[in-house]
Parts: sequence; structure tokens; C-alpha cells
Amino acid sequence: MTPSRFHHAVITGAGCTEFSRESGRSVLELAIEAADLALADAGMERGAIDGMLTYQLGDSVVCATMARSLGLDRLRWHNDIHGGGSQCASILGEAALLIEAGLAETILIYRAMNGRSGKRMGQIGQGAGDGMEEQFLRPYGFLGPAHLCALSSQLYMHQRGLSADDLAELVIAQRAKAAKNPRALLRTPLTRDDYFAAPMIAEPLRRLDCCLETDAACALIVTSTRNAKSAAQGRPIHIRAAVRGGGPGIAAMDKAGADPSAIFSRHVAPLIYEAAGLAPSHIDLLQLYDAYSPLILQQLEDFGFCEPGELHEIVRDGRLAQNGRLPLNLNGGLLSEGYVHGLNNVIEAVTQLQGRAGERQTPGASMALCTGFGGSMGSAAILSVEP
Amino acid sequence: MTAKPQPQPTPLTEPYWAAASQGKLSLQRCTACAVWHHFPVPRCTSCGSDALTFEPVSGHGTVETFTIVHRSFAPGFTGAPYAMAWIALPEQAGLRVFANVTDCLPETVTIGMKVTVWFEQRGDFALPNFRPA
Ligand SMILES: [Zn+2]
Repeated sequence: MTPSRFHHAVITGAGCTEFSRESGRSVLELAIEAADLALADAGMERGAIDGMLTYQLGDSVVCATMARSLGLDRLRWHNDIHGGGSQCASILGEAALLIEAGLAETILIYRAMNGRSGKRMGQIGQGAGDGMEEQFLRPYGFLGPAHLCALSSQLYMHQRGLSADDLAELVIAQRAKAAKNPRALLRTPLTRDDYFAAPMIAEPLRRLDCCLETDAACALIVTSTRNAKSAAQGRPIHIRAAVRGGGPGIAAMDKAGADPSAIFSRHVAPLIYEAAGLAPSHIDLLQLYDAYSPLILQQLEDFGFCEPGELHEIVRDGRLAQNGRLPLNLNGGLLSEGYVHGLNNVIEAVTQLQGRAGERQTPGASMALCTGFGGSMGSAAILSVEP
Repeated sequence: MTAKPQPQPTPLTEPYWAAASQGKLSLQRCTACAVWHHFPVPRCTSCGSDALTFEPVSGHGTVETFTIVHRSFAPGFTGAPYAMAWIALPEQAGLRVFANVTDCLPETVTIGMKVTVWFEQRGDFALPNFRPA
């Protein structure tokens, strides 16, 4: 097995505010709380931070405001990255690069949003390209990420012979996992009847196939192995590899080359395995970006966890359960825990690898795949217990 | 009730909308390598040429993928379910346009359905849409 691509960067702390539909607090207050929780988890003080990274689409707070609010006076690098969910895994790679290059020693990563009570993600455009494409989409009633996903998922499900029953199985299983997660917004078990009674949003997506617009902030501390030895409260988690890439059409998956059903994972999967020197068989925990349920199926196939013909089976045979061979989205994912642009899914991977997930802990996971989706562009990171 | 939005052409896309108002579905084509492009591009992504023009296509197509939208935040689309689709055109593999599929019940739209263009008058514009062939 190839050693980690990043030799000196480890995740030593994570923190999340309460997840809610109406925080009643500013995005800045949420961001500060998450940062302080992550620092405390890493056993560090605010002054240790000398690098800061965030990403934004819709509600956010920028690094300069955070730095001022945290009273930081020796920031060596910071960056406000444009984008949404597609950034949640690759941002770990950016933090690791800064540490490997010696440009910063301890980096705060955060994403803060009043995604329900502030700027609602479901109602904003994609913000991609020069805006020229909007004139060919908006007059037809196309708006927001759900429509983008519905168009590609409809074709994918048609090609693979998947039905609403398959989505129902996935969503029900995911909710069952959320029942063990005190932070999850939705913890009530679902029945098939509940699933099919949910209103259709854009076929094949029912409301329960879509993530929850959420008010919350999540933060991570990435630091050098040298610091981690003295500071970490939990077990330091290694960032083995991270990639960010995409295919034709970039954000506009709907006209992505030969096959409009293709999403980021078709392009990114070979890149992450090559970068990490690993194969799907090395991965034993999945935190896949699931803003919409069909994305899970596409990623399971693209990242090599099942053959296309097995998709109907994999959602039913227990492989993806807490004690299965490929435990998936044990926090309940973005569908049930909440939607902090995917960073909460990444934090679950860290928590699981540290062995600190309590009732929802999967036994012995040592290598996790985390992903971020943004149409035909996206990211992936592989995290591990061992260097 | 909010009106449905009208297109906002740029210099690059203006010929597309001008042709539509004449009842023609006209797409950008490279005069150097003959490759079609949609949405319009400033340079040919196939050969790099800037010698691009607009040429009419047949207006026949096939539903490549679609969704029926039941709940929408899109302005003017607050009522009945509607079908949005990518329509594959026979002129070139991978050439497609985005439109509503109309003149049929949304639930009868299928992948692979043969459709043909028509033009919906909306304010000063004519919007290419498709209906069962
Ligand atoms: Zn050309």
C-alpha cells in the first residue's frame, strides 16, 4: 500500500453547532462557535491558527471577518473559495498542501450558513460560468440544483433499470442511521408508505430524496504531525489524498459530453485511486455526498463498490449498514442529518475513524472515502487512521 | 401572478433568439470544422476557430432526459406540473437543446420520445419548445 501523499498534515479537531431550521443567530456567530469547538477538540487555542480556508455559495462569512472576530494577528494564508458541495472534500487537500509546503502550520476549515432561514440553497442559481447559460434554462422553469440532479438521475435510473423502490430503500436505511445521531435534524424512522407519500419535487426526486436546508456551521482543524503529537485530544486522522476535477460541461452536468447522466464521480474516481495508490477494496467507510438520494447509487458504481447490475441488490443486502462491509453515511447523511454543504459528512468520517461515534460507531473502520458533488465537477478525499 | 422570464440575449446569443423569432431553430456552427455548438461558444471548442455562424437545424429531436417539475421556485411556474427536457438533435451526436415538452400530459413524456420544435411567443421573444412528433 502506498503511503500517504501528504506526510505532515493531519486532522486533529472537529466541531459542529446545533443543526436547525432557524438558528436565530448570525452566520458569523455560528462560524465562531464551530471554530471554538474544533479548537477545543484539537486541544488548541485560537492563537495557534495561522491558516484559514472556507467555501461559499449563498450564505457565508468570509475569512477576513472570521480572523478579526477570532482576534488572529498572524494569519499566514487564507482563502475564500467559491463553490458549494463540490469543495467539501478537496478543501482538505488544500489545507494539506499548505502544511506540506510549510506555508501554514495549523489551518481552520469552516463552512457556516443559515441555509434555511438565510439564503436558501434550493432557490439560488448555480453561479457557474458567465451567466450566459441562464437564458437557455430559466425561461423554461429550470432553477437550482434539484432540477440539475433530477435530469441526470432520471437518465441514469433509466439506463440502469432502477426504480423509486430502490430510492425508497436507500432513504429508509439512511434515516434509520440518523436515529442514532443526536445531531440529526430528522431521526424518526421512515416506512415505505412515508416515502411514497412525500410530495414529488422534480421526478424522480421526492421531498425525502432531497437534503434538508439547514442552519449550522461545521469546522475542522488540520495541523502538522509535529503539532498533533502534543495537541490532539482524539486520534489524528491522516489525509492520504484529495482530488478535485470534472468532466465536460463542468458545472452544467446536463450537457456533459456524450452522456448527460454522468456526474463528477465518473471523472474523479480514477483520479483519487491513482493519487492515493489505493483501490476500492482498501476503503472500509463511505461518506458520499448525498444532497439527492440517486447520487449515492451513481457514486457506488463509479467509485467501484459495485457493478451496475448489483445496484438493486446493494441497497437491500446490508452491505451499507453500520455493521456491513461498506458502511455508508452513518450520520444519516445530508438527507437526514442536515446540509452544511457536505462538511458535516466529512466530519462524520473523521469521528468514525477516531472511534468516537458512540452508538453509531462502525467497528474498526480505518480508511474512509469522502466526496463532494457539484454536477460534473466534484472532489474526493481518502482519510485514514494510519499514515 | 409573476410572469415567466424572458431570455436576456448577449451579443453571442442574439442570433439564436433572432432566428427563433423568425420561427427557426438555428444553432451555432463552426465554418472551419463544421462542428455544431449549443450553448453558443466564443471559440470553437473543437478546433479553436472563431469563424462561427448560425445555421438552421431540422427541428426534429428525441427526448434524451427529462424531469417533471411538481414544486418549483422558478418565477411564473407556480401552477401545474411541467416537463423540462434535454432534446437530442439528429444533426450531431451530443448536440442537444433544453426546452419544455408541451402539448401532452407531462406524465406521458418518456426518454426516447420523438418530438418536434414549435415556438411559444413570450413578450418580444419566441421560445423554442417541443411537442410529440
Ligand atoms: Zn471548429
